[in-house]
Amino acid sequence: MVFAHGFGCDQTMWRFLSPAYEERFRTIAFDLVGSGGSDLSAYRRDKYDSLHGYADDLLDVIDEFANGPVVFVGHSVSTMIGMLATIKAPQKFSAQIMVGPSPCYINDGDYIGGFTREDIDELLETMEANYLGWSSSLAPAIMGVPDRPELRTELTNSFCRNDPDIAKHFARTTFLSDHRKDVPLSTVPALILQCSDDMVAPLSVGEFLHRNMPASTLHIIENVGHCPHMSAPTESSRAIDSFLAGALR
Amino acid sequence: MADATPAGDTMFEHAACALLMTSADGLILRANATACSWLGYSEEELVGQVRLRDLLPVGARLFFNTHCQPILQVQGSVAEIQVDVRNRAKERTPMLINIVRHREDDAIVDHWALFKASDRRAYERELLAARKAAEAAETELKKLNAQLSAADRRKDEFLATLSHELRNPLAPMRSALDVFKLRSARAGDDRLLQIFDRQLRHMTRLVDDLMEVSRITQGRMQLQRAPVELSALVRSAAQDMADTMKAARHSLRLFVEDGPIMVDGDATRLAQVVINLLTNAAKYTPDGGMIELHLASRSGTAEIRVRDNGIGIPVPALATVFEMFSQLESALDRAKGGLGIGLALVRGIVGLHDGSIRAESEGLQQGSTFIVSLPLSADAVCPAEAVPLEIVPRPLRVMVVDDNQDAAETLAMALELFACEVVVAYSGAQALELVRVADPALALLDIGLPDMNGYELARRLRQLPGGGARTLIATTGWGQQKDRERAFDAGFDHHLTKPIDFELIKPLLSKAGAS
Repeated sequence: MVFAHGFGCDQTMWRFLSPAYEERFRTIAFDLVGSGGSDLSAYRRDKYDSLHGYADDLLDVIDEFANGPVVFVGHSVSTMIGMLATIKAPQKFSAQIMVGPSPCYINDGDYIGGFTREDIDELLETMEANYLGWSSSLAPAIMGVPDRPELRTELTNSFCRNDPDIAKHFARTTFLSDHRKDVPLSTVPALILQCSDDMVAPLSVGEFLHRNMPASTLHIIENVGHCPHMSAPTESSRAIDSFLAGALR
Repeated sequence: MADATPAGDTMFEHAACALLMTSADGLILRANATACSWLGYSEEELVGQVRLRDLLPVGARLFFNTHCQPILQVQGSVAEIQVDVRNRAKERTPMLINIVRHREDDAIVDHWALFKASDRRAYERELLAARKAAEAAETELKKLNAQLSAADRRKDEFLATLSHELRNPLAPMRSALDVFKLRSARAGDDRLLQIFDRQLRHMTRLVDDLMEVSRITQGRMQLQRAPVELSALVRSAAQDMADTMKAARHSLRLFVEDGPIMVDGDATRLAQVVINLLTNAAKYTPDGGMIELHLASRSGTAEIRVRDNGIGIPVPALATVFEMFSQLESALDRAKGGLGIGLALVRGIVGLHDGSIRAESEGLQQGSTFIVSLPLSADAVCPAEAVPLEIVPRPLRVMVVDDNQDAAETLAMALELFACEVVVAYSGAQALELVRVADPALALLDIGLPDMNGYELARRLRQLPGGGARTLIATTGWGQQKDRERAFDAGFDHHLTKPIDFELIKPLLSKAGAS
């Protein structure tokens, strides 16, 4: 079972969900190149100008660590990375779990992605404003949280603190990508895990995917936000389990 | 709030920052008076009604969802998030936000503190704009630098080609002039020829300098290194300059330490350095000047010093005087002629010898001093002087092969004046035919023939009966080490660079004649 994190974070975000699968699967979580603890020198702008670069990396990870087809679990942008990989090499996948997926974030005619181009520019500007002071300021208030002693080590791991220039490039690649045409080409059984109230991937997007993806199941979790695997891990794993029970028969 | 003391209540309500408490999904549970006033809502309108993230503009909300929410979830707090917050009138205010997550009873609540950050944001915007401007300027600068380097490279390539092409017509002119000189020596008056000869020598030297300096700039000059004794070399160079000095009524004084002063170097190139410096001194010193040539050695270094009492160098120009064409920049110097590459060549040669050169001058009309430092060689052994063989040339059959008809014929005429029997071929095929009939003892082959190159021709000549004994000389405009090596590999005995110096051919003729 291979876990790929979404935009803005790193593999740490799977800590609430992946332990539930360690008994049944060999679990592999990795940082996308340019994020988390990945080798930043491997970040090439031309390669990662589209999600295909990341999809090729995912296939490499599978070749290196998996024996036989995998269950792929992706969050946010990684759902599309996984989907592109299932189109390139369907034989390497037995199922794909798409947490908060969106094939296109920008509104286009009848399609409601949720955002305009101006919104994305505003995101980039907000990122820029925050990276200015981010080198040392994230989470100093941690000391005042006695019930979470394990957090101290997290600080030294620079959780979700990514290189500003790469993060901006990744944001552009992510939010300006449009993979709606690829959706029907992915035939690997897919679970679309959607939150009831997610501004990043609105319900209309989940419905679009379900309509256009041949072997897909849509499951909506009652949850506010974009990270059900963190804010509602139990419900998320329940949905995944019941889907896998059917898909992996 | 009912149980809060009045003082605590005031501190909370009127804190210098907006304080809010929300449920985990962001729904506002409490807000202080400062928050209500900044956001433009009454407490009733906020509590239980508004989710805090809904007050963020879309881009900022997207950022909050993708960046802050996961951190809050994993770490239990986020600090110093900077986003615009919209009040009821949809006016934006940049704010700094800290959030701490607590478990209270069974529920998770988030405590928010919001600080106004308008000035900070404005300042940061300026910083960002300045950074962008700096980055744009740097990009532009890099582009310009790349263009300049490309232009510089093209210039070097052009000079290399130009000097090579200029050399080609000089070769037959040189040979023709030598023939005329030998003939008119018998006839009597040769003043016109002497003018022709001097000017041709001058032009050849200019072209050679140009070619060599372009070889240095392109990193293609190779030194023929051997132990060199400098005191003899310096004296001999001074001797060569005697006529020039005499013509300008300069007095040249030598202060040369007794040898041996040994360096590891190319004797021809080092002589060129001394001659160029002396030529330079003679040129930029008014007639009747005083020029000194010093050679001394100390602490592992040989120092050659050329000093004059001439027009001097303005102090700002001291640093650029060794740049190629630097002389052209000065109208003062233009009258003196030349390409302004002599010193560039000197610096290049000295550099190849791991040495250094500098110029000193007190200013205009104060004279100049040029100081060359060269590392002394570690194992200083003076080689025995080679004694030149003086053998009178005997009649010798020679074949000249060159597709340039003028070049071939003038060379043939010059050789005839040395009592050679000369046959001429204009192509490789013709040469292979001719050689069977004429059986020359020596052949001078041009490398750039139309039907086969000179290397190929040499190989074939060697394979013919008796071809092993024949002296083969390559003549070419290209005089680099690799050209020489290629010639020797092909079976040539000697390699001469055009224009051909007859002083070099003479001993070869004698040798071929003797064997």
